[in-house]
Amino acid sequence: MTTPVDDASGAYLGCESCGLVSRDVTGDDPALVQHCPRCGHVLHGTKPFSLQRTWACIVAAAVLYIPANTLPVMETTSALQHDEHTLLGGIHELWLDGSWGLAIIVFIASIAVPVLKIAVLALLAWTVRFKPDWRRLERARLYRLIETVGHWSMLDVYVVVLLAATVRFGPLASVNAGTGLLSFAAVVVLTLLATWSFDPRLIWRDPPASQNRRDGRRLA
Amino acid sequence: MGRVEDSLVVCGQCGLAHRWQPLQQASQARCTRCDAVLGRAHRLSIQGILALTVAAAAAFLIAIHAPLMSLSLRGGAETATLPEAISFAWRDDQQLVAILAGITALLAPAAFIGLRLYVLIPLAVGNKPPGFAWCVRALHQAARWNMVEVFTIGVLLSLVRLAGLADTTPGPGLFALGAMTVLFAAIESAGLKHLWWQVR
Repeated sequence: MTTPVDDASGAYLGCESCGLVSRDVTGDDPALVQHCPRCGHVLHGTKPFSLQRTWACIVAAAVLYIPANTLPVMETTSALQHDEHTLLGGIHELWLDGSWGLAIIVFIASIAVPVLKIAVLALLAWTVRFKPDWRRLERARLYRLIETVGHWSMLDVYVVVLLAATVRFGPLASVNAGTGLLSFAAVVVLTLLATWSFDPRLIWRDPPASQNRRDGRRLA
Repeated sequence: MGRVEDSLVVCGQCGLAHRWQPLQQASQARCTRCDAVLGRAHRLSIQGILALTVAAAAAFLIAIHAPLMSLSLRGGAETATLPEAISFAWRDDQQLVAILAGITALLAPAAFIGLRLYVLIPLAVGNKPPGFAWCVRALHQAARWNMVEVFTIGVLLSLVRLAGLADTTPGPGLFALGAMTVLFAAIESAGLKHLWWQVR
């Protein structure tokens, strides 16, 4: 269907906005900026400061992940008692209530997805620097996976917002957002920004020293 | 400025250039190096996408005006629409959370539909609207931040969690959200970059 062009890695730049392909005239000079001749969008061989931005967002997300899990994300008041629920506590309650399916969905969305995103991005950013040859196709697929599932960690934020907006019967029954919700929302946004900052093209980029090894593999 | 290569397509995921050949109906081309999807054969014409976008706009108007769910407890009843839920979070001292929910569930979907209508209606009659390049870039951002599908599941999840506490009924807004989720997926699968093929 399509055949690869034997490109001298990075000789062509595809416009992210309109898809038009231009010949790269900047080389690797970071001072030169090339624009798409059709739509005017900036063309990058790789996103600028990709690794730095990714690391900054991952570290911030990892730090905020602590208060997101220890502080309550939701407070419930009923005629008898006042309760505070953390993320894991809420999942535990669902599980005890017998709603296993729901407990699993919430666990995947609010615990598994953020942890997976932070861990995978840290792995990708680390291997780009230190193990560039290692399992490239699998790493590219991992990146696409976290790009796809990224949105779903917002689920719990929406649930708390909706519960707080509908359960308002004063002292009889009411739900309010807890202090941990903001940290959790910040984790979600930071992991999204980290995913968008990371440039998957870096996975395929060779450091100058391993040029020979790559040529060897191409022949094989 | 670099020379333009018309017959080439560059993989957005790994940067490898491919020579482009027309695809058969309902097939897709994948990158030979990283296996990412390079492009799909479009089954939808501009008119087709426009029709879906108009339908999504109708669903969006219902989704923001009709209650998502209603809850009754000992005689009292509460309903919530999407803007109400967000403004309630704002008044509940959760301004940043309200802004985030407002962007992802209200503003991004609105831009997703509004900008598409602005671009597609002139394209359907053969004109290029002013600010076309900016609109396509903004549409890329709107697609990134749009989380209507997650919000829809969030409403369902809230309903189930409340079912044990009180009498809950799903509202028409929830069905409209469900329709939006499906329509958005169909519109997105048609792609954005190919809008440029129409203006040449």
